[in-house]
Amino acid sequence: MDYIISIIPQMLMGTVDTLRLFFITIVLAIPLGILLAFCRVSSFKLLRDVVAAYVYVLRGTPLMLQLLFVYFGLPFIPVIGIRLDDFPAAVLAFVLNYGAYFCEIFRAGLQAIPRGQFEAAKTLGMNYAQTMKRIILPQVFKIILPPVSNETITLVKDTSLIYVLAMNDLLRTTRNLVQRDFNIMPFVVAAVFYLVMSMILTYGFNKLEKHFARWD
Amino acid sequence: MRKIEAKSICKKFDDLEVLKSIDMTVDEGEVVAIIGPSGGGKSTFLRCLNKLETINGGTIIIDGETLVSTDENGNVRYADNSSRIACRMGMVFQQFNLFPHMTVLENLMEAPVHVQKRNPAEVQKEAEALLEKVGLLDKRDQYPLRLSGGQQQRVAIARALCMKPDIMLFDEPTSSLDPELTGEVLKTMRNLAEDHMTMVVVTHEMGFAREVATKVLFMADGYIQEQGTPEEVFGNPKNERLKSFLKSILK
Ligand SMILES: Nc1ncnc2c1ncn2[C@@H]1O[C@H](COP(=O)(O)OP(=O)(O)O)[C@@H](O)[C@H]1O
Ligand SMILES: [Mg+2]
Repeated sequence: MDYIISIIPQMLMGTVDTLRLFFITIVLAIPLGILLAFCRVSSFKLLRDVVAAYVYVLRGTPLMLQLLFVYFGLPFIPVIGIRLDDFPAAVLAFVLNYGAYFCEIFRAGLQAIPRGQFEAAKTLGMNYAQTMKRIILPQVFKIILPPVSNETITLVKDTSLIYVLAMNDLLRTTRNLVQRDFNIMPFVVAAVFYLVMSMILTYGFNKLEKHFARWD
Repeated sequence: MRKIEAKSICKKFDDLEVLKSIDMTVDEGEVVAIIGPSGGGKSTFLRCLNKLETINGGTIIIDGETLVSTDENGNVRYADNSSRIACRMGMVFQQFNLFPHMTVLENLMEAPVHVQKRNPAEVQKEAEALLEKVGLLDKRDQYPLRLSGGQQQRVAIARALCMKPDIMLFDEPTSSLDPELTGEVLKTMRNLAEDHMTMVVVTHEMGFAREVATKVLFMADGYIQEQGTPEEVFGNPKNERLKSFLKSILK
């Protein structure tokens, strides 16, 4: 028990990095996904195709590969060859990847709204922005809540991939402690940390789903 | 006064010519019923009137203002303010299309407050009066999906009326209702007609067309095949398509 208490401060430090990546990714990837989804259903064929290809590549290759590519590979690319620090590189890779997933979720949500909703709004004189903001998006949010909840919980666990960039997130901190102390207790504590984070998210999403269920 | 004037309306979906040349005039306070076989273009015509579909030829004048016109060379031109003209017509759909995430009262108030920018307190009063009129004031804080089909459709009618439209368009308003629920919706529409609302109603309810309409149009194959008073159209049909249509539907 004393041992556990003694390692908790360090593990909390690691958790801070994990949470930082998590929140920044969520805050950037969701708007990116919404933007991409609108491109994906736009009447511009070229735009639609470009975004479709983007989504295809980002969902069809491992996030780990994308992470390594952004960190180690980008500097070698002519012209744009920039070298990012580990944390910005991780954020970039995660946002691009999760943006693609959120794009597909939003697209499916948008397309699930019956055409009659758009038509009713139009006959009431609402313009595109009003229709989206007041009629369509609230209904889309309800539909996409379960898949977004899934993705978000997956993201908590995926943050551990930044381990390969030698950043001291929760997982790497844990492994360092295990190696230093020859004790596997940190693994158990790390599992509990991840579980608590997932639990809080699940609880939050359940609340949201209840809130949205008031109209059916 | 002339409320709707539609001349030589033509509408194609790719190669499918759904409306070949449709003419219709509606005067203030008239109730026009459009009947005809399914697939004949009735919905499409109604949707052309309020710009849910864009036409390929013809002219539409609403309340003296040109919504869309076609020049000698066949170029179709919509007025710059066509959207504003179009939403002077309230529309009631077969599938109700209420906004499920808003209460009944919010459904009614949404567009008057956010589109017409009217005073919310006044709009609320009018909305409540309209709900009272369609017999649903006690449902004002319910969400639409909790209501029966007939109640939803009456809310949809009240929602359209809350915009203070000059004209009401109905596209088979009772076709997705159980038979025992059509009566309440038809009664609401009857009351509206008695209040001298100008109405265009696509319907399979021949009883309603016969008793309430001032004019009946029979549409098939992209044309108005016959039109006249209910007595003429139902009592003494001339067109062969109309005769067989009436026979099939009254069986
Ligand atoms: N958006 C559309 N795209 C292609 N064809 C359509 C579309 N809407 C209607 N149609 C076709 O136009 C014809 C007339 O349809 P509609 O106006 O709904 O007839 P009605 O209301 O008289 O039953 C039908 O053959 C239908 O398949
Ligand atoms: Mg129809």
